[in-house]
Amino acid sequence: MEGFYTSQPSHVLAASLEILKSQSFARDVSVSLEEFVIGMALAVLIGIPIGLLLGSFQTLRYLLDPPVMAIYATPQLALIPIYVLWLGIGMQSKVAVVFVAAVIPIIVNSIAGVRQVDHSLVLVAQSFCAKKHDIFGKVILPASLPSIMIGVRLGMSRGILGVVVAEMYVSQDGVGNQILKLGSAFRVDHLLFYVLLVSAFGFAATSGVRKLEERLQR
Amino acid sequence: MEASVLTAAPHIQIAGVTIAYEKPLQGGTFVALSGIHLDIDHGTFVTIVGPSGCGKSSLLLAIAGLIRPASGSVLVNGRSVNGPGRDRAMVFQDFALLPWRTVLENVRFSLELHRWTGEDLTERAHRYVNLVGLKGFEQYRPHQLSGGMRQRVGIARALAVDPEILLLDEPFGALDAQTREVMGNELLRIWEQDKKTALFVTHSIDEAIFLGDRVVVMSHSPGEIIETISIDLPRPRTIEMMDTETYVDYRRRIRTHLMGGMHSERAVIAPHS
Repeated sequence: MEGFYTSQPSHVLAASLEILKSQSFARDVSVSLEEFVIGMALAVLIGIPIGLLLGSFQTLRYLLDPPVMAIYATPQLALIPIYVLWLGIGMQSKVAVVFVAAVIPIIVNSIAGVRQVDHSLVLVAQSFCAKKHDIFGKVILPASLPSIMIGVRLGMSRGILGVVVAEMYVSQDGVGNQILKLGSAFRVDHLLFYVLLVSAFGFAATSGVRKLEERLQR
Repeated sequence: MEASVLTAAPHIQIAGVTIAYEKPLQGGTFVALSGIHLDIDHGTFVTIVGPSGCGKSSLLLAIAGLIRPASGSVLVNGRSVNGPGRDRAMVFQDFALLPWRTVLENVRFSLELHRWTGEDLTERAHRYVNLVGLKGFEQYRPHQLSGGMRQRVGIARALAVDPEILLLDEPFGALDAQTREVMGNELLRIWEQDKKTALFVTHSIDEAIFLGDRVVVMSHSPGEIIETISIDLPRPRTIEMMDTETYVDYRRRIRTHLMGGMHSERAVIAPHS
């Protein structure tokens, strides 16, 4: 089969050695990683509290559920040009893409987590004179944790997609930018290396979250 | 003088308690309990038996302070119940254990909420895990336990905070017949140690007679007390007593009441006010 249409493992391996030796590789990876980590951290720090709040207060939920669901269904990658207009072509616009992509599933799943807490557990806590903060800290939070973590994992995969595609749109470096350049040059072997790199990162990151979840459940 | 008056007064007084729930769809209210009067003395084991939906669980929740009666009042030691209190602890029908906590941690739960800390808390949690016969299972999680063992955790959790009153809401309702019998015996063994005032809701006639000093027989909705029967069987109770004539008489009497209630089964819907 011709290397033009696809590639083979040996070529991808050769390409990967070449890329790993190149100067731009470390910078591309660190740029993408930084954008992803900052956007993701913001999404977790802001999304979980918002979700817990919306899950706990019905009025708030009725008020904010429609816009949240609307944003959830919006093709966010189509909004990238707007982020660029607002935030420039630097890191901020890509952080924003990651944030918006990741924060919504985190909010939605945190809400679901709180709402599906077994009411009888709340009743038990109340029967032992639990204060509001006890009920929240000892029942609602641990009971919603699995659902919250599903939100974080979903948010991560959307965030990874977000950072790569955003870099393909507007960037001078980063993994997404490389993928775009290699794609236009039809260098499939090099392209596949970067794609595999993103997949491997996604797998490692979501497994990491799962490990963290197991740790927190203890 | 004062002390003798206090000990003579009933531990729990239920005075004209009516409990009503709003009907979520049709509107209006459903009267679960209607005008219940019941006095319970210190250290007695009272069982409440009745068909499902007679509001016996609601009565327990009202004593626990988890729901408010529509009218009437619940007094504990002469004081009106306004909410949950440290003097009362509840055992739930569905066990209601925290699934992410181990056996030991589930017993710690009630102690944490009662603000026990440090060594005292740990020592006490272990003591009550041992008391209910779960030594060696401290690190198990609820899903790894049988139903009977789960309810042992529920009982340990309630007893650990040393309540004056133990409220048990069909605690063995989800267990098979044999386990149920074993658990009844276990409960009595533990109860005999310090004879706390106990209220035990069940729909099993045998369980009600076997455990109780008094059996309160209730009718179907709206729940009303048909009769309160003093059970004149010596303690400690044994399985053999279930074949005595006295026991069989009690059973016949209660069954007749409950069967009678079934024929006049009716739902009373009060207009929404």
